[in-house]
Amino acid sequence: MVDTTREFRPPVDARLGAEGTRIDLDDVCRYFPVGGTVVKALDEVNLHVDEAAFVVVLGASGSGKTTLLNIIGSLDAPTSGTVRLAGVELTAASRAERTRIRRRTVSFIFQSFNLFPGLTAGENVQFGADVAGRAHPVRVAGEMLERVGLGGRVDHFAHQLSGGEQQRVAIARALATGNPILLADEPTGELDFRTGVQILELLREQAAAGKTVIVVTHNREISRVADRVIELSSGHIVADGPPVGGRAPIADLRW
Amino acid sequence: MARVPMTRIRLLARWSWRDLRRRWLLVSAIALVIALGTGTYAGLLGTSAWRTQSNDASFALLHTHDLRVTLPPGNTTAEGRLAALTAGIAHARDITGTNERLVVPTQIAGPNGLLVPGEIVGTDTRPGPRVDGVAITAGRALTTADDGRPSAVVEAAFARKNRLAETTELTISGGARLNIVGHGQSPEYFIVTGAQGGTPFLSQKSYGVLFASLHTVQKAVAAPGRVNDLVLTLRPGADRAAVARELRRSLDAARPPLAATITTRGDIDAYRILYQDIKGDERLWRVVALLVLGGAALAALNLTTRIVEAQRREIGIGMALGAPTRLLAIRPLLFGAQVALLGVALGLVVGWAIGIPLRGVFVDMLPLPIWRTPLQAGVFAQAAGLGFALPFAAVAWPVWRALRVPPVEAIRVGHLAARGGGLAPLLRRIPLPGRGYRQIPLRNVLRTPRRSALTALGIAAAITTLVTTVGFLDTFGATLDRAENELLHTAPDRLNVTLDGFQPTGGDVVRAVAAMPQVGGVTPGLQLPSTARSGGHTVELIVEVIPAAASWRPTLTAGTGTGGLVLADKAAHDLGVGVGGTVNVEHPQATASGLRTVRTPMRVAGLHPNPMRMYAYLDPVSATAFGLAGHANQLTVTPAHGVDADAVRRALLAVPHVASAQTAQATTEGMRTSLEEFVGILRIAALVTLLLALLIAFNTTSIAVDERSREHATMLAYGLPVRTVLGMTTIETALIGALGTVIGVLGGYAMLRWLTATTIPDVLPEIGITAELSTTTIIQAVTLGILTVAIAPLLTTRRLRRMDIPSALRVME
Repeated sequence: MVDTTREFRPPVDARLGAEGTRIDLDDVCRYFPVGGTVVKALDEVNLHVDEAAFVVVLGASGSGKTTLLNIIGSLDAPTSGTVRLAGVELTAASRAERTRIRRRTVSFIFQSFNLFPGLTAGENVQFGADVAGRAHPVRVAGEMLERVGLGGRVDHFAHQLSGGEQQRVAIARALATGNPILLADEPTGELDFRTGVQILELLREQAAAGKTVIVVTHNREISRVADRVIELSSGHIVADGPPVGGRAPIADLRW
Repeated sequence: MARVPMTRIRLLARWSWRDLRRRWLLVSAIALVIALGTGTYAGLLGTSAWRTQSNDASFALLHTHDLRVTLPPGNTTAEGRLAALTAGIAHARDITGTNERLVVPTQIAGPNGLLVPGEIVGTDTRPGPRVDGVAITAGRALTTADDGRPSAVVEAAFARKNRLAETTELTISGGARLNIVGHGQSPEYFIVTGAQGGTPFLSQKSYGVLFASLHTVQKAVAAPGRVNDLVLTLRPGADRAAVARELRRSLDAARPPLAATITTRGDIDAYRILYQDIKGDERLWRVVALLVLGGAALAALNLTTRIVEAQRREIGIGMALGAPTRLLAIRPLLFGAQVALLGVALGLVVGWAIGIPLRGVFVDMLPLPIWRTPLQAGVFAQAAGLGFALPFAAVAWPVWRALRVPPVEAIRVGHLAARGGGLAPLLRRIPLPGRGYRQIPLRNVLRTPRRSALTALGIAAAITTLVTTVGFLDTFGATLDRAENELLHTAPDRLNVTLDGFQPTGGDVVRAVAAMPQVGGVTPGLQLPSTARSGGHTVELIVEVIPAAASWRPTLTAGTGTGGLVLADKAAHDLGVGVGGTVNVEHPQATASGLRTVRTPMRVAGLHPNPMRMYAYLDPVSATAFGLAGHANQLTVTPAHGVDADAVRRALLAVPHVASAQTAQATTEGMRTSLEEFVGILRIAALVTLLLALLIAFNTTSIAVDERSREHATMLAYGLPVRTVLGMTTIETALIGALGTVIGVLGGYAMLRWLTATTIPDVLPEIGITAELSTTTIIQAVTLGILTVAIAPLLTTRRLRRMDIPSALRVME
């Protein structure tokens, strides 16, 4: 069974060593054969993230941004190229090592929330803490739900929560892992503006606390609050840098 | 291995319990499917232990003989002479009991037109344990006071089946009347076989046995002071063969000599059949039980696969969160364990419930004085083990598959939907009528070939089991029809009259029968038990010598009817001979001192199609080896014009030396009775299978409909009326049902053919059985496979009408 004796960790896992939250993608390609043709979701992508930051990956539908996130999070493997995450070369890692990376290094937040329908909000978050090996997962779950403003919904099932609440539970579950990298795939995609802003505030707080947060979105407005914006088009990185005009406060966002 | 934290155990237990509750209907259905499989297994296989225990107790209760000394038919000797044989032998001290008897074939007439062949057993009626005693089931036992008086006990099963009162009056051949004082059972007559009275397949209803005091029988058959039979019991551990050898020497040394046969307990037909059949029957029941269990296993696999597939996205989420594989596997496996426990508990109930009708079949078919039918803990434990392992294994496979899917695939929304078009592109080449959306059912079937195949296979598993089980009934029925057609193809109104010994064909008995006004014609013949051997194979035969003027002759499938033995196709097959081949036949041969057994090579002249392999025929010229030319022990009697068979049988009762008179139909009816045990049990199995099939078909379809709920919601959102959506779903499931039915019927027939070729010949070697499926069975299977499956979506009408379309269209959670 997994080691469950680990105590509450600082935001960035000291055991990750000098490589910390470093992400390196070199010449990464991801091709999908479709019918008689090959769709190049990612083509010769080079990307390096070496410090805690709020990174937004921007792109239109089909630009390859979700594929990029899946590869960083070791949910998917590239067709060619190398991926290193916190010092581990994912492209050479075994299935078990990739699972360990997902358990101890990255945490996912999905557009469609992906809560377990059979578990309550508290249990969903507890699951995240438990899998990551956190001690006292029930207590951690309660704390995380408090942090996202859902302390009173611990015993509610997913279908009893609104979309925004479900996404906050999903974020609480990701936070409960204590993992240093948060990967969010269109986290505001299914939410109204106000709820979306709340979610972005939560994610920014995590970056401020020393985690690397990578948010994939097609919403250019969101990129205004990023530390770094990577723009993808047809599988290529077409722009990489701080937001044009500098980072804006979240309160200035409009969509 | 690290300690598993309690919080996680509690979470997983809660979670799987919620899974169970959320799908309680399906879970109950799977558990019931498993229960039917394991319960049938336990119920059917438990019968072997019942039978063994009941046989042991029943044969012990009545001090069944270890050895029997029997004089040839028609021969008797002075009372006391057979008993005296035991006195001087070396192992006399091993003999614990003797009983000198007079056993005589007879006709029995009684109230309500009862007239049947049978035998009367004159035995020791003094109080105390007697060899081959009689257990009284109704009325009273015979006592010393009944010695020499016209009192008798009638065999219980015969009495019950003919509804004879405890006290009644019966008349036997020769006109003697006996007052029946009770009903009873004796080991040699626990079941009636072909050896008794020389007519095979007579049932307990049409073959009567009367037990009376020795002196009563001597009076009734006009044989005062005569006996023809001695039965002995030996002390446990005695050398039975040595005692038999010494008895043989005593018989040979007797003056005048006694031509008797010595048989053992194992030679008692009832004993041999009751024990031997247990093993053979067990093989058949094991096959049926495994068939039902296999069907249940496949169904459970199918249903649990669907459940685990439905959890695949959640497994994917777990993977994305880095949960280790074994942790992800625990939840579905826990689910499997819970279903297994429920299945086992229900299986014990089903096994117990199946035991009730099974017990009824056995008690009715195999009347024993003692029936022991306790719960067979060992068999139930075996079934419980299978019942537990089955769903566990059924869950393990889909879990293993689900865990091997890359997380990015598993987590994808709509992961169960077909990624490509499956086989749907094929439809582009086939012009279909109607609007585009009306082609959806067929497109759906082809678009998701794996899902369609899973549903079809679930239905096919049920149909295969049903067709195989019911096919056994068809097969037995068709076999009996073939036998009946063969025996009745000409002269169906004829009577087979058995004489109590060999009579000259031109003698008084034959002349007396021929002279009766009720008789239209008489053909004297011979019928002798024989054994054919060839190439190490042995087949028991009843050889009938058919005179040239016979009103009935066997149909020939090969060869000719004269110049040798005409064997059944099955007998020839089992002996490995064909027309022109030779078999060694051990048969009785008349000599100056009586009958002796000799071996004669006989040419196989022809083959007949009767599936009962024991029937063999000879022409009079080829029958010279019997040494009985000019004699008959059987008469074929044709009733006079306008006289019914019963009137002839009644008239024949008054003719001395007539042992029995039966219509040709009675033989075929007896054959049917002899298979009633199988048919009765198979009917129970078929009923279980039908229930299983209904359950599987309905559940499989319900799941398939559930999986389409988002598509249905989309159709409804676009304004299609509920009836159109239902219609399309019905067409889709009917298409899959038809596919499953075709696979199931073909699979069932293949399974039936395989079993009739491999298992049945061992279980019922005397009968040539070939696989047959009746039209009714096929119609039943089609009805079940297509109609039930097509109707299943209609039961979702309410759900469809009340569907919360926005929720169904939302991406879950």
